[in-house]
Amino acid sequence: MSRSRRIRSEAVAAWHSFLRRRTAVFFTFFFPVILVVIFGALVRTQPTDGGLFAEPAAYYIPGYLATVVLFTPLSRVGSEIARHRDDNRFEKLATTPLSRTEWLVAHTAVNTVIIGLASLLILGLVVLLTDASIPITASLALLVPFIVLAVILFCGFGAVLGRLADSQDGVIAASNTIALPLLFLSDTFISLDQLPGWFGPLVELSPLTYFARGVRTLTYGPAAGEPFLGNLLILAALAVVLFVAGAYAIPRTD
Amino acid sequence: MNEAVVATGVGKTYGDTVALDGVDLTVAEGEVFGLIGPNGAGKTTLIRALTGTTPVTGNIEVFGAEPTAVDSERVGLLPQSFSPPARLTAREMIDYYAGLYDNARDTDAVLADVGLTETADSWYETLSGGQQRRVCVGTALVNDPDLLFLDEPTTGIDPAGRRALWELLESLAAGGTTVVLTSHSMAEVQRLSDRVGLLQDGQLVAVGTPEDLIADHGGRSRLVIGTDASSAAASALAAADFTATASPSEVVVDGVSPVDIGDAVEVLSEAGISYDTLTWTEPSLEDVYLQLTGESFEGAMTPGASAMAEESSEEPTEPAAAGGDR
Repeated sequence: MSRSRRIRSEAVAAWHSFLRRRTAVFFTFFFPVILVVIFGALVRTQPTDGGLFAEPAAYYIPGYLATVVLFTPLSRVGSEIARHRDDNRFEKLATTPLSRTEWLVAHTAVNTVIIGLASLLILGLVVLLTDASIPITASLALLVPFIVLAVILFCGFGAVLGRLADSQDGVIAASNTIALPLLFLSDTFISLDQLPGWFGPLVELSPLTYFARGVRTLTYGPAAGEPFLGNLLILAALAVVLFVAGAYAIPRTD
Repeated sequence: MNEAVVATGVGKTYGDTVALDGVDLTVAEGEVFGLIGPNGAGKTTLIRALTGTTPVTGNIEVFGAEPTAVDSERVGLLPQSFSPPARLTAREMIDYYAGLYDNARDTDAVLADVGLTETADSWYETLSGGQQRRVCVGTALVNDPDLLFLDEPTTGIDPAGRRALWELLESLAAGGTTVVLTSHSMAEVQRLSDRVGLLQDGQLVAVGTPEDLIADHGGRSRLVIGTDASSAAASALAAADFTATASPSEVVVDGVSPVDIGDAVEVLSEAGISYDTLTWTEPSLEDVYLQLTGESFEGAMTPGASAMAEESSEEPTEPAAAGGDR
């Protein structure tokens, strides 16, 4: 009870803080919107012409979802840690019963809600603005654990980044530098056969790859029926590892 | 009396900079201990060491346990330069920190303690600097701590708010709360503290009650006479066994108690020397600070000192009603 009370208190404060930063709210949701509008509605996919967007529109749903699942936790948790450190909030929290793990659980919960809403927005826009069709099956509900696990994973990653970077600017620069290649080279927007053969093993190293492949089996008709459990388990294992690393990385002393 | 804090040989370096150098310190339960010292003396580092938020060498026990192992329900901290989430209201802020404890106080009671009942629903960022600091103090009080660490608690607070906070801390101390505070306000430390420690270059160079420190290091009370005839005045006063030093526009008479002021004025009157101002000061903690840190100080008023100034008169002036003799 005490633990849930502490986590709830931290999460409520973080949620209010987020909601009251209007520009943060706007751009958190505007970013995926503009991505879908540009690539899904303006550029459009050209399945017969080859090139970058050579697959049907629904093929790229994992990529669109990956933008929020990847960028939002990395930048938000990393920045929050930098902000906490600059404002001596961790020094204060270190003398309260709230543990580092509880802090990260609270902020992961807030990010899960934010990214869940953004994901719904993306799915709706993809259906509305492109000719994508998402197979409505019971297994579509498995999108939830995929998204939640990915958020946990990248919140942990963001915490590590926040610890290593010495400022909020540093966190933003580092998260962009890491996230951009991950976004495009994780079997999201660019399929493996468009990359040099030697690059294949590197794609397997990206945690986002398992998110993208798993989500694709749930949202892209031609991939339906392909096994997703392996991707889910790998994602879960990586989420645990990164979350533990992130919780450990959160500063407790100077 | 039990000891709330026992620190022995505490040391801390940042690269080549020595922040703490073998600090020994004990704070008894229920005691208010004030830490003073110049900027960079190590006050904040010592607070961090005592709260377990920075690793140090040496040994520290808080309520008999290592700082990181002490029951956090018993400790409250207001860090220096602490800035909580800006877009929470004062009430939400207190609620937030109260939610981290099992046995938190009522939010309205905390808000009332720090005088923010009327602005409780304003965002933190819209409050004045002093109100913001009072919110921060409130966050340290939510768990009704047995041991309260306050690192410069009244920075930015206006005089009325500061006095209200002093009264709050005095009531907490009266209730048995142990308080360790740092401040650059000597009046604050002198008023609140049972004992004071002066840190300089990472070393605790003096510890004692404010009265003892003033008696040992504060020097004597003095009378400063503003006059154009300073040399003549100094000679007349010296002839009457006063210790007087002349400068071009004033005479400083050292070791003058309130009851001596009339005698000194009488000497001037008898010598036909007029004066513009009379200022009497008693030694204070600020004098101790300046004496021990070696910083210069001449002719300035000190907090807690009484002073008077009036136009030239042939009549002796009444001594100021001030507490304490030389």
